[in-house]
Amino acid sequence: MGGTLKKKYESGSVTNYITRNKARKKLQLSLPDFRRLCILKGIYPREPKNKKKVNKGSTAPRTFYLLKDIRFLLHEPIVRKFREYKIFVRKLKRAYGRTEYSTVGRLKDNKPAYKLDHIVKERYPSFIDALRDIDDALCMCFLFSTFARTGKCHVQTIQLCRRLTVEWMNYVIASRALRKVFISIKGIYYQAEVMGQIITWLVPYQFSHDHPTDVDYRVMATFTELYTTLLGFVNFRLYHSLNLVYPPKLDVKSESGLNEEDVDDYAMSSESYLEKLSALSTTLAQVVSSTEDEEAELDKFPVEEEDVAKLEAREEEQKQQEIEKKLFEGLKIFLNREVPRESLAFLIRCFGGQVSWDRSVCIGSTYNVTDETITHQIVDRPNIDKQYINRYYVQPQWLYDCVNAKILLPVEDYFLGVTLPPHLSPFVEEKDGDYVPPEKLKIMALQRGEKPVRAQEEEEEEEEEDDSEEEEEEEEDEDEDKVEEKSLKKMEEQRSQGNSLPVKVTAGKVKVDNLERLEQEEKAEEKRLAIMMMKKREKYLYDKIMFGKKRKIREANKLTAKRKAHDDAEKSSKKKTRK
Amino acid sequence: MAPSRRLRRVAASQPGFLNLKTDSGGAALAGGRRKRLNKNKKKSWNKHSDINDVDAFLEDVRLQERTTGGLLSEKSDESLFFLDAGPPKDQRVSQPAEEQKRSKGKAWRPLRIDLILQRDSLVPIPKDVLAYQKPNAKKLRRIAEKAAQLSAKGVVTRRQKRLLNRPPVKERTKKAVTEANNNPNRDYYDMWREEPKGTSDPWFLQQTGKKRVPRPERMNEKPSVLPAVEVIAAGGSYNPEFFSHQALLQEAHNVELKRQKEEDRIAKQLAVNKEHFATEETVMKEQVEGLVEEEEAEEEEEAASEEDVAVGAIVMAEKKTERQRRKERVEKLKVQRRQANRAKSDKRQQLFQLNSIKKTIKERETNTKVKQEQRKSNQEAEKAQPRRLGKLKFQPQDMEVQLSNELAGSLRQLKPEGSVLKDRFKSLQKRNLIEPRERAKFKRVLKVKYVEKRAFREIT
Repeated sequence: MGGTLKKKYESGSVTNYITRNKARKKLQLSLPDFRRLCILKGIYPREPKNKKKVNKGSTAPRTFYLLKDIRFLLHEPIVRKFREYKIFVRKLKRAYGRTEYSTVGRLKDNKPAYKLDHIVKERYPSFIDALRDIDDALCMCFLFSTFARTGKCHVQTIQLCRRLTVEWMNYVIASRALRKVFISIKGIYYQAEVMGQIITWLVPYQFSHDHPTDVDYRVMATFTELYTTLLGFVNFRLYHSLNLVYPPKLDVKSESGLNEEDVDDYAMSSESYLEKLSALSTTLAQVVSSTEDEEAELDKFPVEEEDVAKLEAREEEQKQQEIEKKLFEGLKIFLNREVPRESLAFLIRCFGGQVSWDRSVCIGSTYNVTDETITHQIVDRPNIDKQYINRYYVQPQWLYDCVNAKILLPVEDYFLGVTLPPHLSPFVEEKDGDYVPPEKLKIMALQRGEKPVRAQEEEEEEEEEDDSEEEEEEEEDEDEDKVEEKSLKKMEEQRSQGNSLPVKVTAGKVKVDNLERLEQEEKAEEKRLAIMMMKKREKYLYDKIMFGKKRKIREANKLTAKRKAHDDAEKSSKKKTRK
Repeated sequence: MAPSRRLRRVAASQPGFLNLKTDSGGAALAGGRRKRLNKNKKKSWNKHSDINDVDAFLEDVRLQERTTGGLLSEKSDESLFFLDAGPPKDQRVSQPAEEQKRSKGKAWRPLRIDLILQRDSLVPIPKDVLAYQKPNAKKLRRIAEKAAQLSAKGVVTRRQKRLLNRPPVKERTKKAVTEANNNPNRDYYDMWREEPKGTSDPWFLQQTGKKRVPRPERMNEKPSVLPAVEVIAAGGSYNPEFFSHQALLQEAHNVELKRQKEEDRIAKQLAVNKEHFATEETVMKEQVEGLVEEEEAEEEEEAASEEDVAVGAIVMAEKKTERQRRKERVEKLKVQRRQANRAKSDKRQQLFQLNSIKKTIKERETNTKVKQEQRKSNQEAEKAQPRRLGKLKFQPQDMEVQLSNELAGSLRQLKPEGSVLKDRFKSLQKRNLIEPRERAKFKRVLKVKYVEKRAFREIT
């Protein structure tokens, strides 16, 4: 029974954790270096389940790491590089202090540097792993590439980030992978589908940085260091998957189309190539010039009968996607100088459109305003002096909304000086029963192929009713118009409203039994019976579910009613101001 | 050497030149008592011989040379004098014209600094002989001549042969320097290609430290289930739909309300209670405190009585007799037997309670199941929550919201809200990748001492 007394905190969860300071001492690194190493290697602090036990009875808040993680860090070759760098800095300081400039030069020549390639390979053993984690990398690189070169971080890092993001954008263009765009007050969200992975990233607006003081730039720079390496390798692989040359080269054919005269005005010759690439207006060179329109066909496997339907659905989807990818094909768009050029050029090129801008805005414009074949001009100002008759002048939101709706929306709502319809978020997905804003309903109707005439005309009608006193005259005119467009039934209703009821007796008709309706009735009957047959408990559950659904619908209805009231109020207020 | 020699010669021929000997004698005479000096060493000779007059003379000669380009005595009269016959006519006319010109437009004049730096000596610059001379010129010329002769004959010397037959030197490439990781021109390669399997023994590689330690699978788990990029709600659109915008505003409002409540709570706690204010009565009491001694005496008495009781509590228990002990034992046995009987009968009775027992068991099981589910769902919810990783708790970012009147009508007028940098930073914290930290405060090691400057002090 005797034996030695068991000491406290020598077994159990204490042995699995180590505090940050101890870990730091074990690795013989300074705190910033330790933090950097942890970020690079992907080792994160943990919160133990029972802190008091791990903390040896103390409740002081501490940062803990897993001991095994730290042991793993001991094998890392970069640790030695960090130590070397520390010594290098010390020597350099000493040399500067003694004003031994030859020593300084020699030391600087042999500055210790390291690569993160092996870490990337270790953390992302397969390409798909890397692609899944690319969201963060993209966000960070886009963010850093918009920084001013003021010394908040290395200029080289900014340059590298810019290069990588340009490469990425060019890849997305080449593969037509963009799916969604959302202009928020924070920045622009993009979503692309690359090799079956959904990738979302956020691009800040240009020139919008105030540098917040409570952000640790060193930490961010460390993350960026890793992510630039990762993104570079991912880009390489992606380019090769499309048979494109890496580092990207402009296609000779399309490069010759650029306005070459003013290249020197924009950049030094060493930088002008990247600038041209970042203009996004030209296609990239391929390793093997392939025949165009090489469409990948789905592999066909002998399938069982059940899967046939699935397969067909998939094929249908594929076809639909192919069409969506060519959304802007055939459009020739010109960007005015006040619109965000890079974002719009990226968007247009992603869906196959042609784009150009004024020569003074940026390098790489392909045609001028005066080009007669331009179909759309993107303008973001109340009016414009010289207008060409054979092109539409639309506001930039049109392009974004088209991409999200996956169809070319009617341009009328987006003309110059028109109050724009709201820009809806494509990232919100309503379940049935949720409130759906009327604008979205309209777009959904358009997607189904219905014509938007009705809704618009109704609006117009309403306005006219309010505006003019002489209703009847106008109504007659309108009726004539509608004969062509609306269904007969609708027209009859209108008539009956407008004029006094014409009393007539017509010969009776045999009512044909509507097959569809019969079927529906049958189904409904079946359902009713099934409900009746339910067990008590199931019935209770069913009622509960139905109640929930109804409540949801009720709420949605309330919201729509509210919205209508709001719209009406706004309309009336507008009218008042007009008067 | 040549000019100095010439000078010496000229100096000797001058009538004012005094011999060194006479000079030293004169100095001695002037001093009165003659000083005995050894001049057998060059050092002392230099020290004790007076050369002022020679210096003065040479200075004069140099001045003459500098200003006139030679000695005045050697110049011809024509070069030194001219006949002054009044100013020439044309010059008189031209001068005012020139002045006018100057006054009109400022004519170009050399800078004064340039004039100062100009060379004004008339002594010609000595020729730099070294620029024309080559060391070993004669020898080199001879060698070149011979080489030309030989090459004309077509003879290849041994030396040339050796040069020609030299084995090609391997070009030592510079040691590959790993360039910095953020070099914008760095190149990438296909990292995930199929690598050919190494031929060497894995055991050997492992033992010699050439093989990397594989990364444990556990490390690839993400510390949070949150996505890397959380898209802002629909109300955050630059041109939002009315209701989604209202919903976002409501959310922001709720956050603000919560914060306000918290602040209010603290303010309330900090407020001074009115009851705690000093009244006249309490002030009086405080002043009198310690002067009145009646109560204390009573208290002492009470304490004394308490002590007595405490002493009495420790009383030794009396010893039990044998009989008492036996009785107790019997009692104990009886109780045990009764309890055993009771348990036995209870068990028998339970046979008839089977149904109710089953019911209770079932109830308990359902209860545990419900609790398990609850716990599981709680754990799931916990996974998305930021953890407490250090001293500080995670503080969520302020919500980005634009009020209805701040919304821009068009993309051009859009004013971005919030900072993407901060958003990314907070996202990293939220996903438990880094611990929330505060910026280290600047601590001054040495005290700052303020001293008024003297110039300032004089004024005040």
